Amino acid sequence: MSLQQVVQPRPSANGFGRRRVEREMGSRLDSKPHSGKSNPNSFTIAGAPNGSKVGGYESPSRDWLIYLTTCLIGHHVEVQVKNGSSFSGIFHATNAEKDYGVILKMARLIKDGSFRGQKSLSESIGKPPSKTLIIPAKELVQIIAKGVPLSGDGLANGLQCEKRKDIMIDSLISHSHHVDVQRELERWTPVEDDLQLPELENIFDNPWNRNWDQFETNEALFGVKSTFDEELYTTKLERGPKMRELEREASRIAREIEGEETLDLHLAEERGFCFHEDFDIDEETRFSSVFRGVDDSGYEESEDTTLDSRNTETFGGSSGTVISRSFSDVARGRTDGAQASSSSLSMDEAQSSQSIASKDLHRLSSIDHAKQLTSDCVSKSGKSRMHENQFREQHGGKSYSTESTERKICRVGEETQTSKSEDIQSSLNVKKAVSDKVGLSPSATAFAPSSSVSSKGQENASLVGSSDSIGAGTIKAVNSRGRSGSSTSSTSEFVAAPSASSGPGLSPSSSVGSLSSEKSSLNPNAKEFKLNPNAKSFMPSQTPLRPPSPVSEGSFYFPANVSAVPHMHTVPVGIGIAPSFGHQPVIYNPQATPVQSPQPYVHPNGPLYGQQMILGHPRQVLYMPSYPQEMPYKGREF
Amino acid sequence: MAMDSSYGDEFAVGCFLSIKTTLGDEFEGQIITFDKLSNILVLQEGSKTGPRRNIRLLKANYIKDFTLLGQAEDPLDHKKCYLDLASLQAREEAAIRQAELEAVRIGVGVTSEAQSVFDALSKTLPVHWDKTVIVVMNEVRVSSPYLPENVIGGTPAANDRVKKVLEFERKRLHARGPSQ
Repeated sequence: MSLQQVVQPRPSANGFGRRRVEREMGSRLDSKPHSGKSNPNSFTIAGAPNGSKVGGYESPSRDWLIYLTTCLIGHHVEVQVKNGSSFSGIFHATNAEKDYGVILKMARLIKDGSFRGQKSLSESIGKPPSKTLIIPAKELVQIIAKGVPLSGDGLANGLQCEKRKDIMIDSLISHSHHVDVQRELERWTPVEDDLQLPELENIFDNPWNRNWDQFETNEALFGVKSTFDEELYTTKLERGPKMRELEREASRIAREIEGEETLDLHLAEERGFCFHEDFDIDEETRFSSVFRGVDDSGYEESEDTTLDSRNTETFGGSSGTVISRSFSDVARGRTDGAQASSSSLSMDEAQSSQSIASKDLHRLSSIDHAKQLTSDCVSKSGKSRMHENQFREQHGGKSYSTESTERKICRVGEETQTSKSEDIQSSLNVKKAVSDKVGLSPSATAFAPSSSVSSKGQENASLVGSSDSIGAGTIKAVNSRGRSGSSTSSTSEFVAAPSASSGPGLSPSSSVGSLSSEKSSLNPNAKEFKLNPNAKSFMPSQTPLRPPSPVSEGSFYFPANVSAVPHMHTVPVGIGIAPSFGHQPVIYNPQATPVQSPQPYVHPNGPLYGQQMILGHPRQVLYMPSYPQEMPYKGREF
Repeated sequence: MAMDSSYGDEFAVGCFLSIKTTLGDEFEGQIITFDKLSNILVLQEGSKTGPRRNIRLLKANYIKDFTLLGQAEDPLDHKKCYLDLASLQAREEAAIRQAELEAVRIGVGVTSEAQSVFDALSKTLPVHWDKTVIVVMNEVRVSSPYLPENVIGGTPAANDRVKKVLEFERKRLHARGPSQ
């Protein structure tokens, strides 16, 4: 047997493998051998070769052989040779000039016909397939191929199949060619007993009713032990005599909360209350998750009128929330860039803001005046706030009036404090104006059904600086700006709104309740922010509030008369937004840090501009949110 | 017989034959074509199921005996016969790639039992050959005779896991019986 396994095919076996590259599709097969063989085989294989004798070895049947052989290229074939052995491989080429020799790729011996090979074919399986196997014509007996696409459409399909194979789809990957052939497959016949199939009925039983424990099974089969410890993920339950009491208390509270009457359609639905008789409420209102203004946190209706009027007068109806939000963003950014990134709309906000606020308080120590005033103001506001909150709880809402008083008090403090800098003064004015608008942030917070937003609003307001609107919110931003510490403190007070006021009992809104518990470890004097359920909801106005292009990229306008302003000068009205994020310093120092990408904050800018418009100041006047890096802060004129 | 096929078979395209070869194969098929020069007879076997056929190229000199079963028309539709060389090439490349992937899975010089163990392990674990050692998850090594005792290396957890899987698969293989 002269089977040769060589890397390079013999020159004579040029065959179709080499030449096929040059062949055009379906046209003349030009058989100019690379190896320089002198006998060109020019066969025409296209359409009906019958009777098209081009000379030489032409004959229709020859043509057909060539055609069929070509169809085999790339196909898995079995080749039997003279001694009875069979090879399996991928058909690569043939030398079909005179005789018929074959070249296979990745060929393996599957049946050894030779004498010595008879005993252990199994061992030959352990050999790697030969990359190229040449079978001379003399040895060839037969070639068997299954599933060969012989005609055009078959080829087309084949191409698709191959392409799909190339893409390695899942089913291909998972399809194992090493099928378990050891199993005798039997057709399934249903057994009478099985018809009952009792287990299927219980399939949705509670886990403890099922007879199969996946963890046990896994452990038994593979020795994998489950290391799940519930207490890693939740509060440890103290199991003991007190447990029962606590449970009872907990379920009482739960019942209370769940049994609460609610104005919110969704909550009502959940709790099973029949909602309003007017069945005009369409599906969208009933089931949509778009918040449309009904918020329920236990506040009375009386607040509505006050707030509404306030709203209209300042805002003319819109963008309040957005502004507040942006403000809060800024505020947060200002104070503590790192922290700013965390949680936009989470309950944690209140917490973080609270902590930030307190931090800021410390930072502001450098500002003596501010500090003093602050503390004064704070204590005042703090106390009043405390009262306020409690008051609110009980009476559901008169607090706002008290608030405004407080704010005024604070503002006074602030004003004194800032009298130093004219800019600050002017800014104050502007801020006041703006804050008025923003002032409604608490109400505007109703926009989002989470108290966190409202807290943001609070902060926003404060950001504005003038304790005017929501003294409470004053926020850290103000702090960072070197603003009155009072703002800060008031913020903290307000936001913290601790459990001190809300207490462990049922709080008007469950969301707020949770907040209070979190805060308890922080500032005990801080006030918890209460979501105002009747606040006017955000209604996007028709005016184009968004600038077509983000302002961020250094589109600021530097007013000519702006001189170097002490860092105390701050908070440009609009800002609150993004750019402040990049700033870390306690005291607002625009030169200190580069601005982070303001992209996320483009939107808040939008409404802001709207806001500015309301102010009557075109964009140019106001500080543009994003500072390009290194750009010196020239201050703003307000 | 087939020897004097100079003219006979050219006209016999489409004939159904029952053939016995000198090597002991027996089969039936329909003649697609016959090439005098190389003496190769191309048959189509099985029922015609669409464009894909089972074909056999047989060197006519190995035909021991044949019988004419019947005559029918040419099984190939001449109008539809064309070749897409590009796709053929692609097909071959894909097939080779596939074969190479499969080739890696075969252990060289290992017993078929070892190979079955390898195949069984590869169903759920990443395995590859290192001469005659099965390497699982790049850390655990299983050497001949591929019993749970031969599982060495890796972290204790991985080691245990491989042991378990190995035991399991061996049991399964035994249950199948030696019908490999």
